[in-house]
Amino acid sequence: MSSHSSFRRFLLLGRPAADAVLAAPGRDARIDVIRGLSLLIIFINHMPGNVVSAYMPHNYGFSDAADIFVLLAGVSAALAYGGLIEQRGLAVAGLKLGARIWTLYIAHIAVFIIVCGVVATAVTRTQNPLYIEAINIQPFFRDTVEALIGALTLTYQPSYLDILPLYIVLLALFPAIYYAARLSPLLTLACSLAIWQAALAFELNLPNGNAGVWFFNPFAWQVVFTLGVVIGRAAQLGIRAPRLPWIDVMAVAFIAFAWAVKITSGNPTGIAALNDWFDSVQLGSDKTNLAWTRLLHIGALAWLAIRWLPAGTALAKAAPGRMLASAGQNSLHVFCAGIVLSIIGQILLAETSFDPGVQLLICAGGATILTGLGIFLSWYRSITKRGASAESAPARGAQPSRPSFSSR
Amino acid sequence: MTVVALGSSATAGSGASADDKSYPAVLQAELRRRLPGAEVRVVNKGVGGQSAYDMLLRMQPDVIDEKPAIVIWQTVINDAIRDIGEDKLGKILRKGVSKARAAGIEMILMDLPWLPREGRYPHYDDYRAVLAKTAQDQGISLFPRYAMMKGWSNSRQFTPEELVGMDGLHLVDAGYRCLALRLADGIVAGIGPVRIEAAGNSARQTN
Repeated sequence: MSSHSSFRRFLLLGRPAADAVLAAPGRDARIDVIRGLSLLIIFINHMPGNVVSAYMPHNYGFSDAADIFVLLAGVSAALAYGGLIEQRGLAVAGLKLGARIWTLYIAHIAVFIIVCGVVATAVTRTQNPLYIEAINIQPFFRDTVEALIGALTLTYQPSYLDILPLYIVLLALFPAIYYAARLSPLLTLACSLAIWQAALAFELNLPNGNAGVWFFNPFAWQVVFTLGVVIGRAAQLGIRAPRLPWIDVMAVAFIAFAWAVKITSGNPTGIAALNDWFDSVQLGSDKTNLAWTRLLHIGALAWLAIRWLPAGTALAKAAPGRMLASAGQNSLHVFCAGIVLSIIGQILLAETSFDPGVQLLICAGGATILTGLGIFLSWYRSITKRGASAESAPARGAQPSRPSFSSR
Repeated sequence: MTVVALGSSATAGSGASADDKSYPAVLQAELRRRLPGAEVRVVNKGVGGQSAYDMLLRMQPDVIDEKPAIVIWQTVINDAIRDIGEDKLGKILRKGVSKARAAGIEMILMDLPWLPREGRYPHYDDYRAVLAKTAQDQGISLFPRYAMMKGWSNSRQFTPEELVGMDGLHLVDAGYRCLALRLADGIVAGIGPVRIEAAGNSARQTN
């Protein structure tokens, strides 16, 4: 029963009980593997109309890879920057966070420029205008100056270039969310939900272009990120999810319900009052403003993953898990490469009239390149780190490091 | 009389040299010229890259709340590109049409553009068929943009460049202008006078 009380104490007060048995914190391969997998799914889904995307999770549930990506962003921010706040204080963590946000910003701008170049090349070579339409990049060709300023200020986001701006805003909010979660995770989640609902009521969102709004409304998606921060904070404290079979059962039941709703067409219940609801989840989902169904679905998935997927490094033992983990560990690079590749993929698909063989080839080829990139970057880091530590060891010894002198 | 132009980039006016060269802007000028005395307003609600479902979500705030007599819905292009499924599209369109109808708004659906090489999108004609069938079943007008553009291209009145712009899709100024003039023809000749009268009456009543 101690895990129950410890978990309850954590939810209310942000602390485990003093006598609680805690899990030893260590790198959790589940995060890397699942993130790697969701990066590949995002790549496939960013080539709409391809045959593989018809089998991707968004066809079988309310939430999709984007929700997982944002949730894991919260988890890993809590582990990385939350840990830094605990060890080095807010100032150092804030600087690190600022550096990370700057990196994300530069990456976003670079991807924007590359995508514009790719599309411009494709359109002038093929005379097919729809490539511009498909990713809403007309403003860049129509009024380049305005669009460029919009891109730099994140107020113009072509399709598919909308996740990094969300990530930037969420990371900027991280210290506030983290400190709140330290006080009381339950209260933090309640506030987060209240902000989301208020934004819905007052139709708050950030502007995108002349008439539109952000595809991922930060006022809504901060809920998923906050949930991730709370999960990450629990992991940081070594708090285990309590054994509550009724929650397991409810989570499975909800996921099964979502699956049943998504694979049917229309309203099988025959209750007229539910017609609109069935239409709303079957015809399209409210990805911009999040929806309770999305949130419950990602919550159920997260609960089951925490409870039933083996913790530690078990998931990354076998080769597929290890490869996915490599992609997940280098998520920014793999994500950016995936965006560019998926847009090149869209063009190749259309130029080959969506030939089924080419579709499979592009999906498999892209997934191979992305996992290959992840594996390469992990390897690259490991060999450069080895070199760096060898070099820096004598350098550190030569430095007059004050604490060590005074202590001796 | 208010007309709302709901649509994606062709409505927003991409490819046009200036804001007043988009088709809704030209349509407004033309309707004002042809219907002196009537206070005509054409509201541009085009957002580039949007699917039919995205626009269905905008139907209440962007269309119904503007209280127009007519809404011109230019859509389906992004659904055809993404191949979202014909049944799904048909459902979305029917919902949009009935929403507008329930609010007492006349709807004109706009056909897809003609493309120099449609083979890239094997289901392009299927999606056009969904659009045509919806218009027929619901008894609303389908503005024959595809046939018009194809005609322009065959008659060689315009070079392909002039017709679809440097990006090959977006009507440049001349194309937008022709589109707007033909729409104005339809509105003035067909439902126009009746509607204006009705709009005038209701305006007097509410005043």
